[in-house]
Amino acid sequence: MTQKFENPVVELLFQLADDDYLFSYRGSEWLGLAPHIEEDVAFSSITQDTMGHATVYYRLLEGLGLGAADSLAHIRPAAERKNSILVERPNGEGCYMENPRYDWAYAVARSYIYTTAKKIKIDSLKSSSDQSLAEAAVKISMELYYHLLHWKTWFVQLFNATEEARNRMTKALEKVVADSGDLFSFGDAASEITNASLIESEQVLLNRWTEYVKPVFETIKVAVPTFGKPERNGRNGEHTNELQDAIDTMSEVYATDLAAAW
Amino acid sequence: MGNESFYQEFEVFSRRTKTSPFQHQFSLLAPNEDIAMVMAQENFMRREPVADIWVVKRDHIRGLNSEERQIVERLDNKDYRLTKGYGYLRKKWRQYEQGMFDEKEILSWAGGQKK
Amino acid sequence: MTADVLLEKDLQAQFEERIAAGDKIEADDWMPEEYRLALIKLISMHGISEIMGALPEKEWVPKAPTLYRKLGIMAKVQDEMGHGQLLLRVAEDLIKPLGKNREDLMQDLFAGRLKFHNVFHMATKSWGDAGLIGWLVDGAAIITQTNMLNASYAPYARALQRICAEEVFHAQHGEAIILALAEGTEKQKEMVQDALNRWWEALLFFFGPPSSDTTGSTKQDITIKYKIRINTNEELRQGFLSKYIPRIQSIGLTIPDPTLRFDEETQKWIYQQPNWENFKKIQRNEGPKSQERLKLRRTSYDDTAWVREALSAQIG
Repeated sequence: MTQKFENPVVELLFQLADDDYLFSYRGSEWLGLAPHIEEDVAFSSITQDTMGHATVYYRLLEGLGLGAADSLAHIRPAAERKNSILVERPNGEGCYMENPRYDWAYAVARSYIYTTAKKIKIDSLKSSSDQSLAEAAVKISMELYYHLLHWKTWFVQLFNATEEARNRMTKALEKVVADSGDLFSFGDAASEITNASLIESEQVLLNRWTEYVKPVFETIKVAVPTFGKPERNGRNGEHTNELQDAIDTMSEVYATDLAAAW
Repeated sequence: MGNESFYQEFEVFSRRTKTSPFQHQFSLLAPNEDIAMVMAQENFMRREPVADIWVVKRDHIRGLNSEERQIVERLDNKDYRLTKGYGYLRKKWRQYEQGMFDEKEILSWAGGQKK
Repeated sequence: MTADVLLEKDLQAQFEERIAAGDKIEADDWMPEEYRLALIKLISMHGISEIMGALPEKEWVPKAPTLYRKLGIMAKVQDEMGHGQLLLRVAEDLIKPLGKNREDLMQDLFAGRLKFHNVFHMATKSWGDAGLIGWLVDGAAIITQTNMLNASYAPYARALQRICAEEVFHAQHGEAIILALAEGTEKQKEMVQDALNRWWEALLFFFGPPSSDTTGSTKQDITIKYKIRINTNEELRQGFLSKYIPRIQSIGLTIPDPTLRFDEETQKWIYQQPNWENFKKIQRNEGPKSQERLKLRRTSYDDTAWVREALSAQIG
């Protein structure tokens, strides 16, 4: 099990950084494989923006003396990672190099749920008691509008298209919901994080999210999902083996020489 | 079959700043205008500022056809439409010890008048 | 007088006059069949090569060693997809009168009727390869593409202007990776040298055979005749060697060709000819990674067919 940091700012920063980093890492595996060339280009911009957001958080951690941003991103073992289970899941069967059988319905459902959750958190972080977190949130929120519009467009259109598309989206959404138990969780550090007024409480954010996505779920005639208690809580360093596989790949080059300049 | 209609042609226009005109960027394929819109900026304007975007279905554009393109031809005898046809005024104003209100001078008034 | 009352040979003569005068041709202008077919072949291959070219490089996107490098190579591969988009749009407008669209181009690729560039059939074995592609393969691509910036076919020229502007970033992105390695540890230096050894033959193949005598076919003559490009394959290759050999050597790398020298008399580089039999194999999609890459492209296209079907049904 992962260590809990004294400073709740550190704890929250790791959750935010690891979320955006793993989400963008999964996005980067999709590059070149999207259903449509134009979409491949658009999707990659979102992935780059998101990795940029992760970098903002890792740099804040670097500033707090936690280590170099690159090292925080690349070589922390799974047990030290604080991302939600949802973002560590692979894009589908197979490895991205040889035989990816990626699921676009899953990409759209995961991205829509993740990005709407991110929006709710970012909005709350804008009034964080921590100045640097609040400033980061203001910056990141500038790019979120596009991400939301992009994923909402795909999410709604595919749900409302053919029967096959709706079935695929329904299945994908179920899979996403099953993994979202820790999406709004702050793990064992929850009370410290909210007591320090870094961000509003899990329940407040979750309720706000439900209200926020309601109109969209109405247009697709699906009830707004509720998230169960997480089987594993990523915020406490509880992860699937899929995360360690991802870490091994992302750090393959970096880990060959930690002291080298790349 | 269905792919016939997934690949619809859209022309993308954008303006760089709020006061600049819309300029044609390029064309893209998308199944409908909402998807076309979320593709537009990242496909053609990844590295430049954008203030606004239009996507237009290509079928809705009436362009010149190959033969009609000849309408752009014209003689170079229209100095009277241009400041070039009035350059002699500079000399005239000099006789009255006045400067010329040329384009540079007139546009410099955009800074406003003395208050 | 309208186009349809002109005789074919008058049209041909008029067209050649326009080309000679440096005029630009648009998609809906009358053009000789030979010109249209040469453009379709050239531009659809160029476009599909960008889409296929994303695959060898994307292998290194999730593995890039730092956050900055991950972002840089992602942006670069994204551009390759974007260039494919631009070029395929130009090709699609050319095949539209034939009742074809992007779907047909993809199917042509899968069936082996539409080839992708020889350089993208090679394996990328290390991060050094990723850097070397960015530096030298993109360097070679810049030489080919700038050679067509004033192409007589205006839609192609417009796409190339966008592409070449972005290629400047690609060149610098590749240089940044290579210089970091060349100035790094012994292992990193080795990584670049190994990559150069592996890629040298591919770099010579890049510009294609010097003449049709070498491999039996080259489309360079028609494209020069119609002012789509300026130089021959060999002229482009010589230009590449002149620009890049001094830089390669200046950072301490050794080119794996002991016979390589600049001949003062002919003002040309003398180099060991690559094995053009290997080139012909690649032309037949029998290169080291030809089949894997095609399979990857096809699987991802097939696995997402439902998306394209779903949304086309919607607009009816």
